[in-house]
Amino acid sequence: MTQLIIISIYLCLLLFLGLFAGKLFRGTSKDYMLASHSIGPFMLLMSLFGTTMTAFALVGSTGEAYKIGAGVYGLLASSSGIIHSLCFFVLGVKLWDLGRKYGYTTQIQYFRDRLESDKIGVILFPILVGLVIPYLLIGVMASGTVINSITEGAFETAFAKHDYGIPPWLGSLVISIVVLIYVFFGGMRGTAMANTAQTIVFMILGLITFVVISSKLGGMAAATQQVVEKNPSKMMRAVHPQDEKSFKGKYAQWERLAEFNFAKGAKLVALTPDQIKAAMAAYKGPNLPHKAILAQANYAAAEKLFALSVKQQNLARLQQDDRIYDEASIPTTLIDHEILVTYKREAGADAKGASNNKMIQSKIGHPDKFIDGDKEKGKYWTRKKAKGVYRATSWSPDKPHSMNPWKFLTYFFVPLSVGMFPHLFQHWLTAKSANSFKLAVVAHPVFIMIVWVPCVLLGVWMTSAINPATGGSLIAPHFPPNAVLPAAVKALTPDAMAGLLTAGILAAIMSSLDSQFLCVGTMFTTDIVTHYSKPGKYSDKQLIVIARIFIIGIVAVTYLFSLFEPRRVFTLGVWCFSGFSSLFPLVFASLYWRRLTKAGAYAAVIAAGGSWLYLFRDSGYASNPEYDFLGVMPVATMTVLSTFSMIVVSLVTKPPSDTTLKKFFKDVGS
Amino acid sequence: MQNNQGKLLVAGLVILLVILHQDIWFWESHEPVFGFMPVALLWHAGISVAASITWFIATKIAWPVFEESTPAESTDAAEEYGS
Repeated sequence: MTQLIIISIYLCLLLFLGLFAGKLFRGTSKDYMLASHSIGPFMLLMSLFGTTMTAFALVGSTGEAYKIGAGVYGLLASSSGIIHSLCFFVLGVKLWDLGRKYGYTTQIQYFRDRLESDKIGVILFPILVGLVIPYLLIGVMASGTVINSITEGAFETAFAKHDYGIPPWLGSLVISIVVLIYVFFGGMRGTAMANTAQTIVFMILGLITFVVISSKLGGMAAATQQVVEKNPSKMMRAVHPQDEKSFKGKYAQWERLAEFNFAKGAKLVALTPDQIKAAMAAYKGPNLPHKAILAQANYAAAEKLFALSVKQQNLARLQQDDRIYDEASIPTTLIDHEILVTYKREAGADAKGASNNKMIQSKIGHPDKFIDGDKEKGKYWTRKKAKGVYRATSWSPDKPHSMNPWKFLTYFFVPLSVGMFPHLFQHWLTAKSANSFKLAVVAHPVFIMIVWVPCVLLGVWMTSAINPATGGSLIAPHFPPNAVLPAAVKALTPDAMAGLLTAGILAAIMSSLDSQFLCVGTMFTTDIVTHYSKPGKYSDKQLIVIARIFIIGIVAVTYLFSLFEPRRVFTLGVWCFSGFSSLFPLVFASLYWRRLTKAGAYAAVIAAGGSWLYLFRDSGYASNPEYDFLGVMPVATMTVLSTFSMIVVSLVTKPPSDTTLKKFFKDVGS
Repeated sequence: MQNNQGKLLVAGLVILLVILHQDIWFWESHEPVFGFMPVALLWHAGISVAASITWFIATKIAWPVFEESTPAESTDAAEEYGS
């Protein structure tokens, strides 16, 4: 309950800040959308940084480091430090200058003007808004997960299905409403002020979290030593022989379990009480919740108590791992782990499996109460823990894999997305002067480091951390990556601090959501409503109302998406950024290549959109986090295709008029 | 230093950063540095610091110069190019 009270106080303070910013509002749509170009260096740095660091940077980076190890920092953080500032430098400052000179508020206004094409707006608007939705989704989805994880057990009887905490759907809804309110009252000024405040909050609280958690784990060196001993591959980007050997052993054990469970189900084997006793006596493995069944599986295999055909062995593996299969097309050769994972896993199989398991069911209850009131038996499990126990005891172990250096290199394309983020374009235009950008350009890479390094270290530590309260693993195998950070905070920090730290995580999420909300509203009123209506038809007040209605519509759509099967924040983020990155060649060429034509721009947009849709579908709509195309990141293919189409089509079509060239390139003769 | 020379120097530094970023020589190192820091993480944190230094240099020797102009009121491209 303490955590819930602290989060509520934080949200109230944020609303107060939005209302205060509303008092400074000058009443014009320009002030609402661009804060009247009044944002200085410090606030520009904080709002640009706060906007780019979202749930992706905190929740996503910790979860991904837990899954793939320390190399995750090189994948996106260090490359972003180089590329983001590069984009601010080569695109941001120039676009700010053009925006100030010609009065642009949105990207589409600029492209319409530069490309001498009205229709480019019609094609870009749905693509940009469509790509902002998954970006919003990351924040909305993560806020629900974080609030639910941290408030587990806050209520005595309510929300039992959600472990007596705030349900994710309610958490996401509250966060969306709070951000909507302060964006509505404060506009861009409120957004920039809230971003600055929230960025300071999440950076300070993030560092405090790191210090507290590392001390709970026995210090930084002790926490890292656990990883070196138990999961050395998480420290590097190749697979350590120890992990390779450990996986082989765990997988062989899991195969015995799968075959034993299958044989038992098919009544091909049944151990006598004496055999069970002998099996338990012979068991030398770790003290796991399912050690009795593991012992029997080992015993039955060693004594050759049953024999399965190849087809039955394959069925055993597929069923044990909850994979979807067609019985008529089961392979006739034995499937290994690599083939096994190509079968899609049944959605919600962990919840179903946990509810069918009597042992697990008997332990589910209020997480603050002891099982049957007996301290010896420990506290009741949450539903999340029950699902986790089912996954850890039933599913095949994760195979450690190395990072492909080509894939690593092509991750460089992902941060190019900031060049085309519509909300960043709008933030760039708020700058008071070109010099306001300097601090943001210089400090951004170090700020990324301050946020990402502790998150990545925490994720790596969580692969091997021991819960000081129970002596068992802090995070079980197959733990949902999105929940690693909140779970660590909940388990290792006192209630009051966990509340504050959660406020910090939510601050990071909201500092991106606000800019995106504001931006989609601005785009709709500027690029669609005002553009296609007679001048003066709508007053400033009416335009602000229209923007707000559109924002509510987009937030409602995003919210509905968040209720479906969740995706990994990191994977979804990379797909969203990839779409924007594939449009980077367009904005870059528009500023530096005079020969770019309207038709070339259309070709780039169509190639980017078409290849994104094809590859996104091919990846199972982001359900496959390991997806690559031709051994590299899909974004590389998308960006190359859009660049190639843009250059070829531009070269064979009529160049832009002299008037346009004179307007956008200063060395064209006047 | 001339602005163009400055831009070339900054471009060279950025290319160097990209090359250093592809640290395949640390791919298989798992021993921590200073007892707690994975080398894969430390090296790339160093890249972040080097990036900040590069961009600091850029603001000193390659910062674009803009003509002073009066900010325009909002325009609507539709007026110019029709719909």
